[in-house]
Amino acid sequence: MKIIGASVPRPDALDKVTGAARYPADLVKAGMLHAAAVFAHRAHARILNIEASGARALPGVHAVLTAADVPYNRFGLIVADQALLCEDVVRFYGDRVALVVADSAAIARDGAARVNVSYEDLPAVTSAQAALAPGAQRVHADRSNVLLHQKIRKGDVAAGFLQADVILEGKFTTGWQEHAYLQPDAGISYWEGEKLVLETAGQWLHEDRRQIAAMFEMPEENVVIRYAKIGGAFGGREDLSLPPLVALAAWKLRRPVAMVWNREESIIGHHKRHPFTITTKWGAKRDGTIVAAEIESIADGGAYASTSVEVLKCASIFACGPYSIPNVATDGIVVYTNNVPSGAFRGFGTPQAHFAAESMVTRLAHALGLDPADVRRKNLYKEGDIETTGHPLPPGVSVRAVFERCLEEKAARFALPARRPEPANSLRRGIGIACGIKNVGYSFGFPEQATATVELDATPAEIRGAIVRVGAAEVGQGAHLVLRQIAAETLELPLEAVRMVTDDSSEAPNTGSASASRMTFMGGRAVKDAAEAARRNWVAGAKPEATVQYRPPRTTPLDLETGDGIPNYCYGYSAQAVEVEVDVLTGVTRVLRVISVHDVGRAINRQQVEGQIEGCLAQAVGYALTENMPARDGKLLTPYFSTYLLPTTLDMPTEIYPVIVESADPNGPFGARGVAEMPLVPFAPAVAAAIFDATGAWVSDLPMTPERVLRAIEETRRRTTASAEALVR
Amino acid sequence: MESDGSTFEREGDGMIPTTFNYFRPHSIEEALLLLRQGEAAKILAGGQSLIPMMKLRVAEPKTLIDLQGVPELAHVTWAGGHCTVGSLTSHATLAADADLRQKAGALWDAANGLGDPQVRNLGTIGGACAHADPSGDYPAVMLALDACFIVAGEKTREVAAAEFFKGTFETALGAGEILTKITFDAAPRSAYVKLEHAASHYALVGVAVVLVMSRDTIEDARIAITGLADVPFRASGVERSLRGVKGNNVAAIKSACAGAAAGQDVRGDIQASSAYRTAMADIVAARAVRVATDPR
Ligand SMILES: Cc1cc2nc3c(=O)[nH]c(=O)nc-3n(C[C@H](O)[C@H](O)[C@H](O)COP(=O)(O)OP(=O)(O)OC[C@H]3O[C@@H](n4cnc5c(N)ncnc54)[C@H](O)[C@@H]3O)c2cc1C
Repeated sequence: MKIIGASVPRPDALDKVTGAARYPADLVKAGMLHAAAVFAHRAHARILNIEASGARALPGVHAVLTAADVPYNRFGLIVADQALLCEDVVRFYGDRVALVVADSAAIARDGAARVNVSYEDLPAVTSAQAALAPGAQRVHADRSNVLLHQKIRKGDVAAGFLQADVILEGKFTTGWQEHAYLQPDAGISYWEGEKLVLETAGQWLHEDRRQIAAMFEMPEENVVIRYAKIGGAFGGREDLSLPPLVALAAWKLRRPVAMVWNREESIIGHHKRHPFTITTKWGAKRDGTIVAAEIESIADGGAYASTSVEVLKCASIFACGPYSIPNVATDGIVVYTNNVPSGAFRGFGTPQAHFAAESMVTRLAHALGLDPADVRRKNLYKEGDIETTGHPLPPGVSVRAVFERCLEEKAARFALPARRPEPANSLRRGIGIACGIKNVGYSFGFPEQATATVELDATPAEIRGAIVRVGAAEVGQGAHLVLRQIAAETLELPLEAVRMVTDDSSEAPNTGSASASRMTFMGGRAVKDAAEAARRNWVAGAKPEATVQYRPPRTTPLDLETGDGIPNYCYGYSAQAVEVEVDVLTGVTRVLRVISVHDVGRAINRQQVEGQIEGCLAQAVGYALTENMPARDGKLLTPYFSTYLLPTTLDMPTEIYPVIVESADPNGPFGARGVAEMPLVPFAPAVAAAIFDATGAWVSDLPMTPERVLRAIEETRRRTTASAEALVR
Repeated sequence: MESDGSTFEREGDGMIPTTFNYFRPHSIEEALLLLRQGEAAKILAGGQSLIPMMKLRVAEPKTLIDLQGVPELAHVTWAGGHCTVGSLTSHATLAADADLRQKAGALWDAANGLGDPQVRNLGTIGGACAHADPSGDYPAVMLALDACFIVAGEKTREVAAAEFFKGTFETALGAGEILTKITFDAAPRSAYVKLEHAASHYALVGVAVVLVMSRDTIEDARIAITGLADVPFRASGVERSLRGVKGNNVAAIKSACAGAAAGQDVRGDIQASSAYRTAMADIVAARAVRVATDPR
């Protein structure tokens, strides 16, 4: 193979770094109208009146649109429970109540400031615990606050704990995380004859089309979604936020309209990673065999359903990490609150679950006086193991090989001290390890498919080139190049002979979303199969083209009470070793080195896999250490990059070792699995273990800010002094 | 009920200030005249605090008087052991001054650790002092140096640092006055150390230390702390405890610095709680003292 596995350079890179690439906000043209949203700015309130005459009177304002202007005022990825413009009740700060359309963005915003909405405040539910309290205010009057209570039962936990020589309990909390994609939410929309066109950024052309067509009660074919260059997504563009607003304005006024959110609007206006509270109890035998685990995971889903139920199920099936435990009981609960909605974010519930699970495994090892690596060796999944949901893991269980590779790399690379200046007195260094498991593709019986069309440019003697139609969102991860490499390799064509048609819902078929680390696997497999079918047609003298819908092995919904089911068809396995340096007097923690090992099945493009690992680690550093997003009474307190602390290059470890393991998946194209989310999965618990190694203190809350690290160190010190005193007495 | 006034609801989206008149005088006298005559007039130095406030419309001056046309305000002059710094001297100029590092390390440290390169290139020491941000670096340094502020107005007057900082964004400067110079004595055993906010680099806790040492023993100390209260303050208890302590006695320095924020109403916010800031004052103070004990 020539093209698969090579580090083919990204064709879009030059335009992106020189500024020539056109992102949605670059599509705004003179003469377009501009839209600005009126945000609720309250957690929970009844709308009494919307007084828009002041805005309408402003010269340059064309319209002030409200709920009454939306034919079907509901949308949502799984449950359509969100209003495009709220009609009666606002349920979180970022809810939208009106849309002002004007000659310029400045006038539109000015108009938006003159829309006076009078509200009657309602009691606000601003934590998951409050949502579950007896007699709690309902977030949606017609529905319980509990979006889902998913149980999983395997074996008999009570009996399991009886066999345990050591039992540990732990409580973990994790916070919101902002996607912070660099390209601001933006789009333009206009009519092209009968068709309403929306040019924007997203993660799934055909799903955006489905929801938007429904809102305007139009046939789907009459809505055209075109993606411009997309500057990052990370799950944050799965839910519709800005795009249907600008579409509404164009649909209603029959004029081209543009809309661009600033960073504050983006941060309050789109969903976040779910905050979790995980209460857990694990038991193990003296030899390190884990015999029982009991886990309660409570997630704050925020004001609207988004993908909360799926995130919760993922957090539930990974509540024990990649370990085979005979007796398990997990209770996962996700609730509505009047906080910012929670939804998809790189890792999709898995990082939260692993923070608790992997921390507990290391703590068990310490409690037993065993090496955390040996305890992992004892319990890690192997081929044929039964998941907590009662069925064997999909074939290709490679986590043991991945972990051993990580330990080898650690021995080789962490043997010498990091190349840093001599630590001052208060600096302590420590090393931590953790493993990870995360599904590739959709889970729990969600219809999973990818469709691709390949049209060959061929004479009877030779195939000269190909057009590949595949509705895959290029969110910066490099999907278009990978899919092109797969087509070129399959057809034995040079890369330049393959043309990609990818960004228009009317020209490319439905390939599903760029999410769940699935596009290389699913889109790639559809492209490969379509290329092979087209070539077969050519050989047979038929029209040299083919459209193929690829469907992976079946998954099933989980039984609500037992969790029984087949959750997934493919897993990615990870293991990481990190070294940190903690200032034990201030709590300031730096990650010095990371080894990040991933079974990607097959690296279609090595450089891009490494890019995904390194980029994902930046988000992981933020999640573990810096990205604190507190809220007060439903209001996010860090809606700016000046207060929400993303890691910068200076916060990144100076040594990152991405390690690629290739153990082929039986179904993935050329054996490929997925990688995009994987480095985020074990990272936070690896850092927590490293902080423990350095300081003797466990931090159980994410992010591990200096203040939290210091508090943990001080509490541990107090406790050890107290127990030392107890011994003396 | 009306909106809650979040920043991005404000008019102009936080980007466009209201209209104003702009002047660029060529002497202090001219500047003072404009300041007295101009409607709602304000001095513009580096613009690193004023312009952002104007964009957010927290400040809405009608007249801006740009001091950049009076370059003689930018200088660092030594006469014997006495230093005069012009108010228009940029942070970058101070940060690049190797002489300053040896003679007044605390000021050099503050200039080096302040903001980012753009802010350091444009922002000025006078602007930073006149702005009196409670998390600003210089106010603590000025207190520790026991600096004197030379203020031009109807008449020229001198204000001691201890009298200059009055409150959050509040100084002893009158409406028609311009800060022209800051003077202080050389402080070869001095340092400024801070625990900073990762994005802005403003001090969560910043401690400036000026020591008088005889051989290796601390004879006298001035310790000033910023970031904790509305105004920077002297940690007089720590100053007393440090007297007689050997410069290399780390444990004694640490214990002398305990309770550095005693008696202060310490601020807490999303960046750092009051308890954390209070605890960090001791740690940062001890670190600053240790840096100051050695020649720079
Ligand atoms: C991103 C960023 C990061 C920053 N980080 C830090 C930091 O880490 N630490 C820190 O201490 N500061 C920080 N600052 C603030 C910085 O120090 C500013 O430079 C300083 O506060 C203002 O100085 P200036 O010359 O820009 O003044 P301007 O913004 O021009 O003026 C500020 C105020 O002072 C008045 N003024 C200015 N000069 C005079 C004068 N000679 N006489 C009378 N009044 C005068 C003006 O009228 C105005 O009210 C930061 C600023 C930014 C934008």
